[in-house]
Amino acid sequence: MKVHRRLLGLAGVCAATGGVVAIAATQAQAGHTRASAASAPKQIVVGTLYASSGAYAADSIPQYDGVKFWVNQMNKQGGVYVAAYKKKIHVKLVAYNDQSSPTTAATLYSQLITQNHVNIMIPDFGSVLTAPAVSIAQDHHQLLFDATASGTVFFTPNNPYIVGAGIRNSAFWPDPLVQFLVAKHIKKIAILYDANDFDAAQAATLDHGLIAHGVKPVYYQSTATTTTTYGTLIDSIAATNPQAVIELGYNTNDIPFLNTLPSAGHKFNMVFTVFPGQLPQLFQQQVGTKNLGYTYTYATPPLVPYPKVNLGLNTAQFSRAFKAAFPSQAVDYPAMAGYGTALIAQEALNKATSFSQLAMRRAVGNASGKLTTAIGQFKITKDGEEEGEFLPVGQVFPSHGGTAIKVVYPTNLATTKAKYPAPKG
Amino acid sequence: MVLYALIAGVLIGLFYGFAALGLSLAFGVLRVVNIAHGDVIVLGSYLAYELSTQAHINPLFAIPIAVPLAVALGMAFYRFVAPSLGRSSDPEMVSLILFFGVSQVIEALATIGFSVNQDTLLTGPIGNGAVRILGQSFPNYYPAAAAVAVPGALLVMFYLYRSRLGLATRALMSSRADAMLSGIDVDRTSALSFGIALALAASAGALSVYVNGGVAPTDGPGLTTTAFAVVVIGGLGNPGGALVGGLVFGLAEQFAQSYEPNWAGLVPYVLLLAVMLVKPEGLLGRRVRYA
Repeated sequence: MKVHRRLLGLAGVCAATGGVVAIAATQAQAGHTRASAASAPKQIVVGTLYASSGAYAADSIPQYDGVKFWVNQMNKQGGVYVAAYKKKIHVKLVAYNDQSSPTTAATLYSQLITQNHVNIMIPDFGSVLTAPAVSIAQDHHQLLFDATASGTVFFTPNNPYIVGAGIRNSAFWPDPLVQFLVAKHIKKIAILYDANDFDAAQAATLDHGLIAHGVKPVYYQSTATTTTTYGTLIDSIAATNPQAVIELGYNTNDIPFLNTLPSAGHKFNMVFTVFPGQLPQLFQQQVGTKNLGYTYTYATPPLVPYPKVNLGLNTAQFSRAFKAAFPSQAVDYPAMAGYGTALIAQEALNKATSFSQLAMRRAVGNASGKLTTAIGQFKITKDGEEEGEFLPVGQVFPSHGGTAIKVVYPTNLATTKAKYPAPKG
Repeated sequence: MVLYALIAGVLIGLFYGFAALGLSLAFGVLRVVNIAHGDVIVLGSYLAYELSTQAHINPLFAIPIAVPLAVALGMAFYRFVAPSLGRSSDPEMVSLILFFGVSQVIEALATIGFSVNQDTLLTGPIGNGAVRILGQSFPNYYPAAAAVAVPGALLVMFYLYRSRLGLATRALMSSRADAMLSGIDVDRTSALSFGIALALAASAGALSVYVNGGVAPTDGPGLTTTAFAVVVIGGLGNPGGALVGGLVFGLAEQFAQSYEPNWAGLVPYVLLLAVMLVKPEGLLGRRVRYA
């Protein structure tokens, strides 16, 4: 009995101690998150990575410039407004060079979180370089503002620490393309895609979408993302006599693919690749008018302008201001995605009532469907995937010694009619 | 598809063999694995690219320009580093680290000097049309690559088997100590061999800019890996084996691309493992190394 009473006493002391500790911890947490202006940090640290060399440099550098542009804009205005502290705070950008290496990126993402204690984290360009950040950020309870990683695998119900703030989930990208192919009664379709999350998600959507319309692709194969030699692959595709050839890769794949097509001696009625619409200047330079002419691509901002926005600059304003800030840098989609993503982070800081990562995630969730930026509507699924942005089908037309990409589908957005089949010669 | 893969495999394979020839020669003579080999190929590609885009000269003219430059550079480099390597207690390891450093320096300089993006030539070595071989259409750089690789390899073979310097080089490949004892100027022969090895790599660069769809500063390590796999399949240190290894590598890659594209990057290396298990010295390793 005495022992029992002692145990009860001990339990009581433990409970009381635990309670005190819990209250103290809660107060400390509240002090940290529901902060007053007096306790506000001196600066909001935005962390990101970029690749100055390697396979993703062409996309990564402009995305990084887009983020830099936003940081400069904010600081010119006296800082970003942080609702949790009810004041504007100066923004500091911390960026490291991962040289297109996912292994290096993994180390640097950890460094951004554990050493630099970033408040806002924007991963590097694309699925390959974002992939290492996802689990690291989740483990450290750091919210990732994903700019251009559009693979579906990143967004899961049990991970609230990622939000698609820039590019639309790539699984949704081919929807207009499927509709276009069906509308054109194109039945024999060859699909070659790279074995990575970004391209595989598009290929799966395309395949399922076509099969749902009774069209089974005559060629459906994946190849390594490192592929740059396409002669044999094109010959295999040509053997199936397709009316349309869809090649889903990164720009380092699209460029040699497009360049090999004419020299391989095959001409297809329709050729679609992913990146000419995002990096038109690069493709004009590396592929040229002859090889690029009359091919198809996703049309992205600034090719698809958003004149009416309720956050940040509209597409035309951004293009002008960005060109003035970075005269040597083309205004392309990755730059806009970097800027658009930073705007969503700005919204999170503007609206989150406490200065915690989950509060910012909630603020972003609340803004879903209510914001339009220079890259389109911001709308996310419950798992955080961006689904608001729309990528029409564009076609490349020869124009004044160069090329111009025009929207050809859907018809309500089209600026011209598709030239199908592509002219021979 | 079989015929296409077969012809493409042979044509591309000859290029792979040619691109690996210098690595094999350097290893055979100096017993060092030049892991900057791929970076020298990249420099050759940039020379071809600049000639074509700036001077509007056919990129294949990079070869006669690159050869004397690379030979001179290789000989000077050998003279500069050989004494340090000779003094080292572990010259193989030191050379590995040295060439790793060289690789990094070349990559960094190429990143500064050229675009970070991949640079692509819009015009093929013989125009933009296709070439038909046995009823199959190929990009014209396939046969062009083979047409350069075959005489290039034959010249190396002629040098090795029909010249006094070649005889000295083969003696060095067989035994450095015996070569010294028989009065061969080991340093001069080694320096020349290293220069020729670099010249072969730079020459392959003029073709690589087509075969690999362009050139980027970071392409070097990937090219070194391919070249290394080729020379190991054929027989490390045996220039003839490099050509055989190139053919095996090219055929494996092209057949995989035809029938299971996703495996195209894997199949040649599986083959490499198989060769290592069955004939660890490589397909032609024994015949020439101990000749």
